[in-house]
Amino acid sequence: MSQDVARKPYRPGALEALSVLLVLLIIGQRWIVGIFDDPALQTGATIFVSIIVQALPFLVMGVVLSGAIAAFVPESFWKKALPKNPALAVPVASCAGIALPGCECASVPVTNGLIARGVTPAAALAFLLSAPAINPVVLASTFVAFPGEPMMMVARFVASLATAMVMGWLWLRFGKSEWLRVGPRGHLIGSNSWHTFRLTATHDFLHAGGFLVIGGLTAAILNVVVPQDWMDSLAAQPLLAILAMALLAVILSICSEADAFVASSFTQFSLTAKLTFLVVGPMVDIKLISLQAGTFGRGFATRFAPTTFVLAIVMSILVGWWLFR
Amino acid sequence: MRRDVQAIVLILVGGAVLRISLGDAYLNYVKDNMRIWLILSGAALVLLGVLALIDVLRKGRAAGAEETPHDEPHEHDDGHGHGHGGPRSAWLLLLPVLAIFLIAPPPLGAYAAARDATNGVQPREAKAPPLPEGDPVPLSVSGYVGRAVWDDGFTLDGRTVQMTGFVTPNEDGSWWLTRLAISCCAADALAYKIQPLEVEDLPANTWVTVTGHWVPGGGTKSDTAIPLLVVDSLEQVAQPANPYE
Repeated sequence: MSQDVARKPYRPGALEALSVLLVLLIIGQRWIVGIFDDPALQTGATIFVSIIVQALPFLVMGVVLSGAIAAFVPESFWKKALPKNPALAVPVASCAGIALPGCECASVPVTNGLIARGVTPAAALAFLLSAPAINPVVLASTFVAFPGEPMMMVARFVASLATAMVMGWLWLRFGKSEWLRVGPRGHLIGSNSWHTFRLTATHDFLHAGGFLVIGGLTAAILNVVVPQDWMDSLAAQPLLAILAMALLAVILSICSEADAFVASSFTQFSLTAKLTFLVVGPMVDIKLISLQAGTFGRGFATRFAPTTFVLAIVMSILVGWWLFR
Repeated sequence: MRRDVQAIVLILVGGAVLRISLGDAYLNYVKDNMRIWLILSGAALVLLGVLALIDVLRKGRAAGAEETPHDEPHEHDDGHGHGHGGPRSAWLLLLPVLAIFLIAPPPLGAYAAARDATNGVQPREAKAPPLPEGDPVPLSVSGYVGRAVWDDGFTLDGRTVQMTGFVTPNEDGSWWLTRLAISCCAADALAYKIQPLEVEDLPANTWVTVTGHWVPGGGTKSDTAIPLLVVDSLEQVAQPANPYE
């Protein structure tokens, strides 16, 4: 094998590109720092770094746990645990979301694997929607992010679970199997359980991390660019505020393990509007739509995402009206 | 993304997290109770990266050049135009690393405070407990604003207080004694402002410790009221380790 390598002509690759990039940045540091003398840019940079720094421990905890589940929970477990009747399997799978402490990026490959192992798609999709929203890591971070508002955590749990179940039943009734394309899987199986754990955790972190950066960057730019009074006037109109927060959740694409901290920073918005942000975000956002289109096919994503979006808003309004009166 | 580059990205991200959490720099971005989680997660990332690098070195350069297996079709450029999908997006993880190592963004200051049109938030309890003993009694800027604006200054009347904050220039040609309070990270920072009376001009973001006493007149029961402070003495100080309250 080493002879094969020797015969290949040398071609610079990603590693070389990375090294050159780092050297250039170190040389140009003084110039780069000069650009960031501007107070607006500096503020944006601080907000960007703080969103990432706040979210990273939660993301690492999520991928470590999801890696442990992939490595140490036997493949047959999920199939055995679910009822044979699909209509019953949907609520059971929705609640099983509690057991997957990952963010939405982690749940897409897990759902892919579940369907590939013969779990009924309606149940797997209900799990896909509920897992990133109702697991203990996410609920704990929601609790921490809303000091003095413990009902926010309860409302998030109820509204997310309800949306996931209804989407599962809708798929059972109206869904067509040809909309769904299940990709191959199995490369993350290592030589032993420990190796599988490492491969899965690394893979999930690298997948989710980049999208977290996109979300943090967008949030930081919006924070600095959008005039404060513009947001204030939007927040003053109850229905518009809810729609705006739902759209913001889609655009920002923040990991569900960190989105509560961002939601609580929109201080001028109503609790129901913030709840909508928390329910929509883990189920529909730009990075998820691209992940879903890639994993299950474009035909699936164009039907599934808009339906989920509308249903999540309706559920948030209902639960918000019930719990935040 | 190639496996050897993946490993280096993991080590860089973990290293950046460790770099800020082993010193005081993390306090510019998050609350102090995050420190242990930052150290643990930074160490975990470095460990994952080092182990991945060992894998690559054991299998030789050929294995290192291997891309991540294409489990999800979006990793291919399949004409969808989703260039940012899949592990290629992991390149973006270099952005926060570069921001931390090259720019080291400073804590939020006068610019962010001036953008915040409101003065803190209404405290949950309308009645504040009496100030502790002491002359002058040390107080947080947010505590002063809460007591002056939402409790009509009852607990401040006749007391000498001492507070530390930074300078935010305002439109009146004067400046506010300011402190930002965060509940989780700097993205949710709220500004608390006090109008000190008859003070010398100071440049924005100068940190000062002010001793003085409350006088009525800044307005009450409003989230835009800015309470007044008669200054007895003012001293320029270094930025405290934790710039937020």
